[in-house]
Amino acid sequence: MGFFRHLIDVLTLGSDKPLRRLLAYYLILGAVVLALFYFVPSAGHLIKGDHIKTLTSNAQLLEDGLSGAKEKAADVPTESGLDLALTTVVVMLSTLALMLPVSWVFMSARRTRDADQGVVQTLIILPLVVAGIVLVVRTSLALAFSLGGIVAGLRFRTTMQDVRDIVYIFLGIGVGLAAGVQSLIVAAVLSIIFNFAILLIWRYDFGRNVLEPTATAQWAEPLSDLAQRDIDRAVPDRELVLALSPKKAAVLAKRFDRVSKILGPTQKKPRFNSVLAVTTEAVGEAQARIELVLDQLARRWRLDQVITTEGKPAALYYLVGVRKSVSRDRFLTAIRESAGNTILSAELELGDAASQEKQAAK
Amino acid sequence: MIRFPLWGMLLAALGPLSACAKSDAASKAVADSTLLSAREARLKLLLSNIDTIGPDQPIALWKLPDRLKEISGLALTADGRLLTHGDEHGTVFEIDYRRGEVVKSFTVGSPRVRGDFEAITIVRDSVLLLASDGVLYSFKEGADKSVVPFVKRDTGLGKQCEFEGMTFDSLTNMLLLACKHVRDKALKGNLVIFRLPMGPDRDGKEVPPSPLVIPFEQAIGSNDWTDLRPSDITIDPVTGNYVLVASIEKALLAITPTGEVVFSRPLPKDHDQAEGIAITRDHLLIISDEAKTGPARITLYRWP
Repeated sequence: MGFFRHLIDVLTLGSDKPLRRLLAYYLILGAVVLALFYFVPSAGHLIKGDHIKTLTSNAQLLEDGLSGAKEKAADVPTESGLDLALTTVVVMLSTLALMLPVSWVFMSARRTRDADQGVVQTLIILPLVVAGIVLVVRTSLALAFSLGGIVAGLRFRTTMQDVRDIVYIFLGIGVGLAAGVQSLIVAAVLSIIFNFAILLIWRYDFGRNVLEPTATAQWAEPLSDLAQRDIDRAVPDRELVLALSPKKAAVLAKRFDRVSKILGPTQKKPRFNSVLAVTTEAVGEAQARIELVLDQLARRWRLDQVITTEGKPAALYYLVGVRKSVSRDRFLTAIRESAGNTILSAELELGDAASQEKQAAK
Repeated sequence: MIRFPLWGMLLAALGPLSACAKSDAASKAVADSTLLSAREARLKLLLSNIDTIGPDQPIALWKLPDRLKEISGLALTADGRLLTHGDEHGTVFEIDYRRGEVVKSFTVGSPRVRGDFEAITIVRDSVLLLASDGVLYSFKEGADKSVVPFVKRDTGLGKQCEFEGMTFDSLTNMLLLACKHVRDKALKGNLVIFRLPMGPDRDGKEVPPSPLVIPFEQAIGSNDWTDLRPSDITIDPVTGNYVLVASIEKALLAITPTGEVVFSRPLPKDHDQAEGIAITRDHLLIISDEAKTGPARITLYRWP
């Protein structure tokens, strides 16, 4: 494995980007397969899927109606034990080689807290088992029915935490089936397309619900309750005493102190009333262009955080005091026009805590 | 020091071992090839002693796969290959009738042309399919699993006949179209074969199709049939006579090009629904049967 890792490092110029590393892995695998079939052309039927063609093709040889019974015995091909063993070994190794990157992608594309080691191991083992079963069953209807009975008896059922895990398991079954019917090219294409699709989906956060609750929506209500001046309506101290340890209370106090400094003196309006979130692949350039707009349209602003994740675009968060005269749409349009292609997305989340307080006071 | 990792050694070991091993598919191909050669040798042996075989005794009988359960017409190419087709779809199959093998199949039109196809024949380098309403579909022979374009031509004879048999007479450059059901009242009560010229005559004039009419009494002869509805027609390559098969009457008859009946007799037993007929240059009569009580099949007899 060390040699492979080194080779992948060489091919990817030491990059840690998952897409590049995955591409490098498949290139190396392709080279190994090409070399194998260059030196051992007879193994070509395994990758080309000749066996699946035999299984799916209509009978080419016609049955002799005059002496069919006698001929049928001669029709059955003989297969030596060595043939069978080698075919099985090649199929198993190929399945392993094609499922390894799937398990890597599974581990990379899931949050560490969610990653289930059992699923990862299943992703490696299940296709091997499926391929083995298919090699045994082949075209025998009797064996297939027997297998159905056995599986029904085993009750191999489980509840997956995440629907995406099921998709990985289905892929494992697909690769195992394809390898089992000796159509490794199908197994390879399945593995490659699936992995790249998953990585791209992960990279661009495809399917994120833009209407999902914002930080304001999530936090405004409980924090308002906590900050109520009216004793009857506010969260009583005794509740907080029960909920917090001295350490947590100290951390919260420190944090609120910091937020209070950011917001400014109590008598005045909050310094910042919105959060601008931008995703970009060119942090420096995007930052310069965004800040030009911020200088024009914001009362004040400050860069709060830059989050970079390997293989994904960076996220910039600005605290912004947007002028009253500037609408949200105008603000975002100006940002997008100025930043152009340097940014991938821009969102402005407006806070209305001050106005709510004003209304409550009235 | 050079270190050989475990996987490297494994791959290195697999290579030569794989080279020694024959694949599953390859061994099946070898077994099939041996069987086909044995069949061919058996047929050669039978043909060398053809006089010992009765005219009603099958020389070979090939059971056809499900996709050919509605096998219809038969046609022999110039180099002796047998083409056939299904009843409803424009798919043409080549069958090696000597060895019992479907050699290839190709599709006519994309999407595949549909119709009530009843007969097939070869006209020079083209293949013709005939629909029961007298419409001809002309195309070139295709490679295995290929799709070939076609040209459609209406003979205009659909009002006079429902056709079920067709062959090409290269001597007269005419298509012979056998009527199953005569619609033209003037022709009823007769066995009717239309001759359709496949080009202008020597003077460059278009020649209209003409019917060859044989009264049923003559065609049926001493047999106890009341009707005669031919399902295919072919030409005896030795005598030039027209040979017809009728599936409903289970009849086989030969007539001269002038319309004289050479013989009419029942088909050998076990022909559920004889839909196609062909005669080879080496004296083999080939009859195709649609699936009815058993699978569709092709049967070979000595000829004559």
